[in-house]
Amino acid sequence: MSAETLDLTGVLCPLNWVKAKLALEELDPGEELTLLLDPGEPLDSVPRSAREDGHEVRVDGTRVTIVKRG
Amino acid sequence: MSLTDLDLERYSRQLVLPEWSGAAQSKLKEASVMVVGAGALGSPVLTYLVGAGVGRIGVVDSDSVELSNLPRQPLHFTPDLGANKAESVMAKLALMNPDVIVEPYPARLGRMNAEAMLMGADLVVDCSDSFATRYTVNDTCCAMGVPLVEGGVLGFDGLVMAIKPGESACYRCAFPVEPEEGSVPSCREAGVLGPVAGIVGSMQALEALKLLTGAVPPLLDGFVQIDARTYEHTIVSTSRRPDCSACARVPAATQSH
Repeated sequence: MSAETLDLTGVLCPLNWVKAKLALEELDPGEELTLLLDPGEPLDSVPRSAREDGHEVRVDGTRVTIVKRG
Repeated sequence: MSLTDLDLERYSRQLVLPEWSGAAQSKLKEASVMVVGAGALGSPVLTYLVGAGVGRIGVVDSDSVELSNLPRQPLHFTPDLGANKAESVMAKLALMNPDVIVEPYPARLGRMNAEAMLMGADLVVDCSDSFATRYTVNDTCCAMGVPLVEGGVLGFDGLVMAIKPGESACYRCAFPVEPEEGSVPSCREAGVLGPVAGIVGSMQALEALKLLTGAVPPLLDGFVQIDARTYEHTIVSTSRRPDCSACARVPAATQSH
């Protein structure tokens, strides 16, 4: 199982989601990607975009874990 | 082909689309497209294909920029009068997106040279202004198994059709009888309004992006006909003709897209 972490602090919307999305493309369904995000817009938008794309999302402070959808 | 950080930033607004992906963007970057005609349809087609990040684009046009072209061919500017159209658009497209290789072919595409000119293309977009060229491009793409986007505009009416030779109906399947030279008015005689060509060319660019990336299914086995007076549009279904002289004997395209 991959447990990749992507530090997206300092990366603005929507580039942070673009980077997360491309990293997700490399994973198999069920694998997890952890993101470090800035509070504010990134922490609002990125989890929402991930959920809209059908992934499961867990938020722990500014640490966001995405489980790639099947 | 891997995407750079600058690619991610430049193409971020298409990459965030749920239908789009890094894989789709990479396919564009690897693609080679030939655009036949750098006029009213070619201007929007080239603008959006270069903008979207197609890797290499060849532009075929033997005409020179004329004053009466400028209202509907927004890649040509007044100082370009007299310049070859393929050369004229290349200058602007290079500024628009220096990452795209744009190659001008200041020549007229005809039956004799079509195959040589379109050789190596993953996709052809026909932005020509005559039926003779349109049938030539269709027949050549069919013979070579290269996907094609057809488009045409006359007055307020437009037509767009995506074609995968061997898989879907070709232009000749939809319109088997080639109009005789002079029987259909050219845009010089019938007139054309810039934004109408802009709509049709934009739709051709969209179909091209669909064919190249697979992000969204293209309009195959049919064509869209739009009346720009009312925006009324119809999708006319067509199917392959078993006796089509252009595509009946073509095996399904081998391209992955």
